[in-house]
Amino acid sequence: MTDLRFDDVSITYRSSSATRGDVIAVSGVSLDLPSGATLGIAGESGSGKSTLIMSALRLLPKSARLDGQVLLGGKDLKELSFGQIRAVRWAQASIVFQGALHSLNPVREVGGQIIEALEHHAKDTWTSPEKRKARMLELLTEVDLDRSKAAAYPHELSGGQKQRIMIAMALACEPDIIIADEPTTALDVIVQKQILSGLASLVAERGISLLMISHDLAVLSSVCENLAIMRHGRLVEYGPSDRVCLEPAEEYTKQLAGAFPQIGDPESRMNPRTLKPAEVTRAQPLTMSDEVVLEAKNLNVSFDTRQGRERAVRGVDLALRRAEILAVVGQSGSGKTTLARSLLGLQEVDPGSQLSFQGQALPRKAKALRTFRRQVQMILQDPSGSLNPKRSVYEAVVEGLRVQKIKDREYERVIGALEAAELTPAADYLESIPQELSGGQRQRVVIAGALALDPQVLIADEPVASLDASVRGEILSLFLALKKNLGMSALIITHDLGLAWNIADTVAVMRKGEIVEYGEVDSVLADPQHEYTKELLAAVPRLGSQSLVRNE
Amino acid sequence: MSTPTHDHPQPTDPENPETASAPESGGPSSGGSAAGGPSSGASGGPASIGPADMDEPPKGGSFLGYLLRKLGGAAVSMILVVVLGFFAFRMLPGDPVLKIAKERPMSPAQIAELRSQYGLDKPVIVQFWDYLVGILTGDLGESYVYRKSVAALIGEYIGPTLLLTATAAVIAIALGLWLGQLSAWRRNSLFDKLASSTSLVFWSVPTFWLGLILLMIFGGTLQWLPTGGMVTPGLEPWSFAAVIDVIRHLILPVVSLVAVVYAQFLMVMRASLLEEMNEDYLTTARAKGLTEDEVRRRHAVPNALLPTVTVVFLHIGGLIAGAVTVEAVFSWPGLGKLTFEAIRGPDLPLLQGTFVVFSAIIIVMNLAADLVYRWLDPRIRRA
Repeated sequence: MTDLRFDDVSITYRSSSATRGDVIAVSGVSLDLPSGATLGIAGESGSGKSTLIMSALRLLPKSARLDGQVLLGGKDLKELSFGQIRAVRWAQASIVFQGALHSLNPVREVGGQIIEALEHHAKDTWTSPEKRKARMLELLTEVDLDRSKAAAYPHELSGGQKQRIMIAMALACEPDIIIADEPTTALDVIVQKQILSGLASLVAERGISLLMISHDLAVLSSVCENLAIMRHGRLVEYGPSDRVCLEPAEEYTKQLAGAFPQIGDPESRMNPRTLKPAEVTRAQPLTMSDEVVLEAKNLNVSFDTRQGRERAVRGVDLALRRAEILAVVGQSGSGKTTLARSLLGLQEVDPGSQLSFQGQALPRKAKALRTFRRQVQMILQDPSGSLNPKRSVYEAVVEGLRVQKIKDREYERVIGALEAAELTPAADYLESIPQELSGGQRQRVVIAGALALDPQVLIADEPVASLDASVRGEILSLFLALKKNLGMSALIITHDLGLAWNIADTVAVMRKGEIVEYGEVDSVLADPQHEYTKELLAAVPRLGSQSLVRNE
Repeated sequence: MSTPTHDHPQPTDPENPETASAPESGGPSSGGSAAGGPSSGASGGPASIGPADMDEPPKGGSFLGYLLRKLGGAAVSMILVVVLGFFAFRMLPGDPVLKIAKERPMSPAQIAELRSQYGLDKPVIVQFWDYLVGILTGDLGESYVYRKSVAALIGEYIGPTLLLTATAAVIAIALGLWLGQLSAWRRNSLFDKLASSTSLVFWSVPTFWLGLILLMIFGGTLQWLPTGGMVTPGLEPWSFAAVIDVIRHLILPVVSLVAVVYAQFLMVMRASLLEEMNEDYLTTARAKGLTEDEVRRRHAVPNALLPTVTVVFLHIGGLIAGAVTVEAVFSWPGLGKLTFEAIRGPDLPLLQGTFVVFSAIIIVMNLAADLVYRWLDPRIRRA
C-alpha cells in the first residue's frame, strides 16, 4: 500500500508578463494521507486546492515551480523520470475528475476510454483484449451502470452516469490512492448521494486511500475522516472532520460551514450567512402579499422526440404573489427549466394551459411579448456564460433598455440598477469587462441588467450554483433585499434545498414534470408529506459525522 | 449550399429536448428507433442495472433519416444551381451568334437560321424548358465553338481536372493538417513560427503568379520539367514511360495549387487544436499515463479534426476554382481550360454545362462533409 505525503509544498506559477510577476498558488502546505485513510480538502476557487492535488501526479503545467516534497510511497516525485511518473499515474494513484463536465473525450466511446487505462498499466494482469474488455464490463457493473453503456459516447449519458464512468475508470488499475476533484459538483442531491456513497464504499472495501477536494464542506464531511481547509494557498485548519465542521476554530471555517445551511436550523431561515449582507433600506420591509402576479394553471408542455411525444411539464398549477420568493426544486430532468421558460413565454405550451400575468393571459404576439418581458426578467446560472466577454458592464446593463426602446435617463437607470445590485460605487464598474470581475460581481451585473427594466418578477435558473460558497450568501441576501426593498417577486429554479430554506417563502417540489408538493417553506421542508420530498431532504449532506459512510 | 451543421447538443441543459427534435426534419423519419442503438440491450444485461436515470439524454436518430435529409438538401441546392446556370449566363454581355457572324461574312437570313438552329429565337421560357429536359436526359446541348456535344466535351476534359485537383487536394490537406497539429502542439516554438509564416507567405501569393514563376524557373531556365500540357504526344498510353511523363507534367501545376491553399488547412487545424489543448479530457488522458504523443494523437487531434473537416471540404471547392487559373497557365487540358475558352465565346451551352458540373462537384463535396462529420462526431448522430 502506498501513502501520500505533501511536505512543506509551495507551488508558484511563473507569469510571462513582468507586471503580474509570479503567482503563488500554494505555500507551505504539509498534509499526510496514510494508506487507507480518507482526507478532504475544502476551499473556494483560488485557494490552491486543485493545484495541490495536481502536484500529486506531477500534472502541473511547465510554468509551475514546486518547492518542498511530494512523496508517494516514500519516493519523491521530483526525482522520478518521465517514464517512471507515467507508470505511477493511474496504476498507483488515479484521479476522478469532475466527469459531469468535460473530463471525458467527447468523440470516443466511454468503454474504450476505460480500456485505454488498462492497456497502459495492467497488461500483465489483463493480458488480452478480451480480458480487458471483460474487466471493463465488470467495472461498469461495480459502479451500477448497465453494460450496454460501454458503447455510449459521453453526450449520451447524464451527469451522474458520466461521473460513474469516471469512477470506474479510476478503479480500473486497482490503484492505492484515488484523488477525487469535485466529484459531485453540478450534480443534484439525489445523484450526489448515490455517487458519494458508491465511491465511499468502493474505496472502503478495497482499502484505497481517498483524497477528495470540494468547495462544499458538507459533502466532504459526509465521506472523509479528516478535513483540511485551504485559503489563498495556505492551510487554515486541519483535523478530524467532525471537529472541523462542528467546532471550527477558525473564523473562515465557520464561514464555509455556514454557507450551506442546515435545513431546519432556525438561525439560517430567511438569513443566508454572509459577511456582506445586502442592505435593507426600507423601515418596513415588504413581505409576501396576496396579490398574484404570475400564474400558471394546468400547464402542460410536450416535446416531440424520436420516441414520440414526451410531456416535460404535466398539469402544473403555480401562483407567484407580489414580494414572494418561490423556489422550484427538483432533480435535473424534472422539467423545472422548461417550466421557467414557459412562464417567460419562451416555450410553446400545450393547448389548454393557462398562463397569466397580473390577471391577463400571457401574450403570444412578438410585440406584446416584448412589453411583457420588460416586466419579467430572467437570470441564468452561469454569469460568465451569460455576459458577452467583449462588452463593458455599462453595455451589458443598458442592452435591455435599448431593446425596450427606453431612451430617457439611460445613464441614471444603469447606475440605479447597478446600485440596486449592490455593485457600488457603480461608476467605477461601468467600463469593466467581465473578465476583470469576480464571479460574484459578474452575477451582480447580470442581475443589474434585469433590474434596469424595473421588472415585477425575476425568474432565476440556479443563480448561485456556479458561485463560491462565500459569494453564494451575498447573492442570496441580495435577492432577499430586492424583495424587501422593491417588492420584487422571484421564482428561483434550483436543485439546492438549502437555498429554499435560506430565502424562499414558498417551495414547489417537482418530479418528472409534476409538482408533488407545494406550500410554505417552513411546513414543506420541516414536515414533508410526499415521499419524494423526504428523499430529497434525506439526500442533502449534513455537516460532520460522515453520514454517508456510516449509514450504509 | 448546405454546410455541415454544427448543432452541438447543449451539455448543460438536457431538459430542453428541442435540440434533439430537429425542426428541419424534411425527410421522412420513418427510420425511427429501428437503428437507434442498443435499446434492446436491457433484456440481455445483468440484473444490477442502476436506477432508471431520468436525466439521460434521448437517443439519436437513424442514419437513414439523416442521409435522406442531407440528400434532400443537396437536391435543393442542385435545383437552384441548374436554374441559376441558365439565367446567369443569359445576362453575359455579347451575342454568341453575332460573334460567330463576325468571324465569317453571313447574310441576315443565315444569321436567323443559325439562331433558330441554336434555339435562340424561341422565347426564354421555352429555351429554359428545353434546357431542363436536356439536363434530365443527360443532353447538355451542343457547344457553339467546338461543334460537339457538351456532355462529350466535359467527359473528355473532366479526367485531367480530377487528376490535378484530387492530387493537389490530398497533398494540401495532408500537409496542412500535419503541419497544423504539430504547430499547435509546439506553439510558439521555432517550428511553429517557421511553418505558420511560410504557409502564410504562400497563401498571399496569387496562384497564376506563382505558376508563372515556377514555369519560368523549372520549365524555362532549368528545363527540368515540361512547361505545359499533360502528356508528350506519341507515347503509348498507360505505358510506364507515359505514366512517368504525366507525373512530370503534374508536378508544377500541383505544386502551385498546393502552395497556395495548404495554409488555410494549417491555420484551421492549428487554431482548433489550440482550442482543444486546455480541455479537461486531455488532463484525464495525461493522468492515465499516456505519453504526450499519445495524448495528441488519440485524444486531441480527433477532436480538433471536427471543425477542420468543415473548412477542408468547403475549400475543396476553392481548389477547383483555383484549377481554372492553373490549367490556363500550364495549358492543362481540363475543365478549367474548357471554361476559360467557353467564357471567351460566350459559348452558352458549354458554360452552362461546366457550371453545372463544377457546382455538382461542390455540392457532392458538401454532402460528403456532412457524412464524414457524422462519422467523426458522435454528437451529430443525435440530430
